[in-house]
Parts: sequence; C-alpha cells; structure tokens
Amino acid sequence: MITHEAIRDLTAALYDWSLRAVPEDALAGIRAARETETSEVARSTLTMMLNSAERAASNKGYVCSDNGVPVYFVKYGTRCGFTGDVKAAIREGFDALVQRIDPPLLKHVTNPLTNERSYHGKDMPLISFDVVDSDTIDIICQPKALGSGRWAALEIFTFPSLEEIEEYVMRCVLAAGSQHCPPVVIGVGIGGTFDQAAKLAKNSTLRHIGSTNPEPVLAAMEERLTRAVNATGFGPMGTGGDTTALAVHIDYSAGHGFTPVAVCFNCWINRRTQARIHADGRVERVE
Amino acid sequence: MRTHHLQLPLTKADVAELRAGDLVTLSGEIAITAGLPTHQRIREAIAGERDLPFPLAGGTLFHLGSYSEDTPEGLRVRYMNPTTSTRFNAYMPDFIRALDLRLVGGKGGLDDASAKAMQETGCAYLSFLGGGCQLLSAAIESVSAVGWDDLVAHYRLVKLRVRSLGPLTVGIDSHGDSLYSKLRGDAEARLPELMAMLARDRAGS
Repeated sequence: MITHEAIRDLTAALYDWSLRAVPEDALAGIRAARETETSEVARSTLTMMLNSAERAASNKGYVCSDNGVPVYFVKYGTRCGFTGDVKAAIREGFDALVQRIDPPLLKHVTNPLTNERSYHGKDMPLISFDVVDSDTIDIICQPKALGSGRWAALEIFTFPSLEEIEEYVMRCVLAAGSQHCPPVVIGVGIGGTFDQAAKLAKNSTLRHIGSTNPEPVLAAMEERLTRAVNATGFGPMGTGGDTTALAVHIDYSAGHGFTPVAVCFNCWINRRTQARIHADGRVERVE
Repeated sequence: MRTHHLQLPLTKADVAELRAGDLVTLSGEIAITAGLPTHQRIREAIAGERDLPFPLAGGTLFHLGSYSEDTPEGLRVRYMNPTTSTRFNAYMPDFIRALDLRLVGGKGGLDDASAKAMQETGCAYLSFLGGGCQLLSAAIESVSAVGWDDLVAHYRLVKLRVRSLGPLTVGIDSHGDSLYSKLRGDAEARLPELMAMLARDRAGS
C-alpha cells in the first residue's frame, strides 16, 4: 500500500536531489558537444559547466542559486491502491523540505498580484497529473527558474505548414538569444488546444537527450531544427559557438485546424529527477 | 583566447585592454545585487534623493543573486550566481554614466544603449556562468560591506572581497563591441539562409 508519508517524503527528496545534480544525459550531451565545438571560448565555457556540475555533486551544493519554482509531474496508476489526497501529500512534502533544506532556498515563489515573494502561494507547488493504468505512482520534479522559463512562447496558427512551424521555433530561439543559459533543451508542442500544446512542449523537455522520437516526421524535424538552432551561433552562455541547443524535442496532438505551437526551453542544467513508488511501498529512483 | 588576471579596482586604461571574447579572473572588491528594488534605490541615489550605502564610483556592479545569512560576525554569503542582466536594461545606461562604472556583468548581456554608455565611460560587461553556483561562490573571501539592511537579504547591495573569481567572458568591451549585439544581428541576418537549410533538409527527409 502506498502511504501518504511515502509521497510526502519522496516529493521533498526529489526537489532536493534536482537542485544538486545535473542529469547524466545532459552531462553526456555537454561532453559530446565539447568534442565538436569549434570556438575555444565556448569549449572553455562547456568545461566550466562540467566542473560546476561535478563540484555541486561532490559538495552536495546547489548548481544554480535560482532554485526556481517547484513543478511536479505525477503519473498516477489507477491500480496503485492509494486512497488519500495526493495533492496534499505533495504540498506537505514541499513545505517540509523548505523548512529543513540546507543551504536554505532563495524565496522565488512570487504572488503575481503583489510581487510579494515567499516559499508558498496559491497552487504552489505546481502539479500536473496523468492517470495511467499501472500499480505505481511516478513523480518527476523539474524546478523551473526565470533564466530559461522567461522565454517560453505560444502562438496559434491556422493550418500551418511544417515550414511555418519551424520558422516560429527559430524566431523563438532568436528572441531568447543569449539569455536562457544555453546550451538548452527545446521543447515544442504542436496541436491540440492552447493548454495541450503548452503541456506537450513542457513534457517534451523531460524526454532524455539522445532519445529518438517514435514519430518519423518529428524525428526528422527534431534533427534538422537542432542543426539549424546550432547554426545560429549563440553558443554556450550566449557568448558565441556551435552549441546553442543540446536537443530539440517535439510532440503533437490532433486538434482542430487552429493549431497552437508552443516552444519552451530548459537551461543547460536541465534539472529533472524522477522516482517511482511501487504498490508495496518500495521507492525506486528512476534517474 | 586571451586571459587577464585582474586586480580591482581597474583604471580606464586597464579596461581598454579587454576585448570582447577575452576571459578574465577578478581579485579584489566587487559590488553585487540581483534586485529591482535595489536598482530603484540606486536610481534614487543618483537623483540625489537618498544616499548610497557605500561608494560605487569607478567600481563594479554585478547582477549576482545570493543567499546570505545574518550571523554574529555579520552577513555570510552562502552562495551566489548570476541573474539575467537584460532585466535591468532600463537602469544600466544611467548607472554606467553616473557612477562611472568600470565593470558591469551578470548573464545574457545588456542592450545597445548600455554598450554605448560603456564605450563613453570606459566600462566592460562580463558574462558569468549561469549555473556556476559552486565555482563562483568558492571565490568569495569575505563580505566587506552591506547596504540597505531593511531589504530582504538578496536585494541588499553587498560588497564582497573575491579571489580569482572566474573565468568570466568579456561580453561587451569598452570599444563598442558587443558579442550579444553581434550574435543577434548575425543570427537574424542568417535566418533566411537557415530557413533554406531547413527546407533542403525537409525535402531530403
């Protein structure tokens, strides 16, 4: 039986873990980029990124001081046997962590009506749910900070061609320019409705770097957009080079002819941790 | 790639040596803040409506956010990291001129109005590694001064003594060269070419 305490404790641990380590696939992407990067300054910046990640892991310190706002993705298995209030357990886990985490977090949670900053607020932490047919609960934590979060965009097109969609992605990349802590992972959502496209884009940033899109049209689009984004020349930290994106990940949903296209970015740290609670209460770190 | 190991404070002649794309490390005293309220107060100080807690003239003003704690020995900075400088585009040209700053910095650059002010006064912009919390914080030797204690800690104006902070990349130099402006201009100019490249790839896939 999955307990309230198990979800609460895992929620706290996931946020803590995500602040102190860079996921392996992002590190591998940066290492690979360093091999082919032609700019000396860019190679030096990529090396600093790897050093920063390594030092954060060995010091158990934060990689970035912008702890961001906590965002959780929950895959809730209908056969998991949990009967309590999942949202309350997650909220409690986050609140408990804020009280005890060391070093303490900066107050980034902002009331948009007053600009007052704290750790708490309406709908915080942000949680989205997916109901799946399993006997586990999977939770992913992806703290979202201003540096890359600021540059997300969405536009609604009418029966767009692939060319129009790709041009829009490129325009979003140009608008972000040097400011979103590149090399970034770019998430693109096409279709569905306004909210669905945004969700697709966001979920796409969770996909592992190096994975291939099962939809051949999108797999090809991801490859050519990655090439085009890297040909812009913004480079690591936007001071020039060949490595502006580690990956472009795209997903789509069927919708009406009005087609929203959403684009969002993850900075090079690519914060993401995931764990699974099994029906017997066992907790497994998935990555 | 040239690397300069600089001891602060700098003269205009020192800054003139720096070229966009060079790397630098800094030792000495730096002023940091990541707060909009702090920038509003600095603007009021320049207008003569309040005093600066310590002089900034001829020095640095970096957009570095920090987590600090009040201890019996004074403020302790636990960690710091850059924030997006373009948030402060509206303030920086006036600050650069009025305070005669030698170095400004953070991440992501500043706009052309700031670059112009920097060229007039002899100032350079330094790019800090976003996500460089551990490397950057390790350079902190001590807290020299803290201004505006009534603000929450990370909005205060803090003067730090640092050793070998960096390497940092010169993003904008005092000769009017801005990597940010150049890279954006180049990318915009290349967009038709990049769209043609995408079209070729699409046709071939």
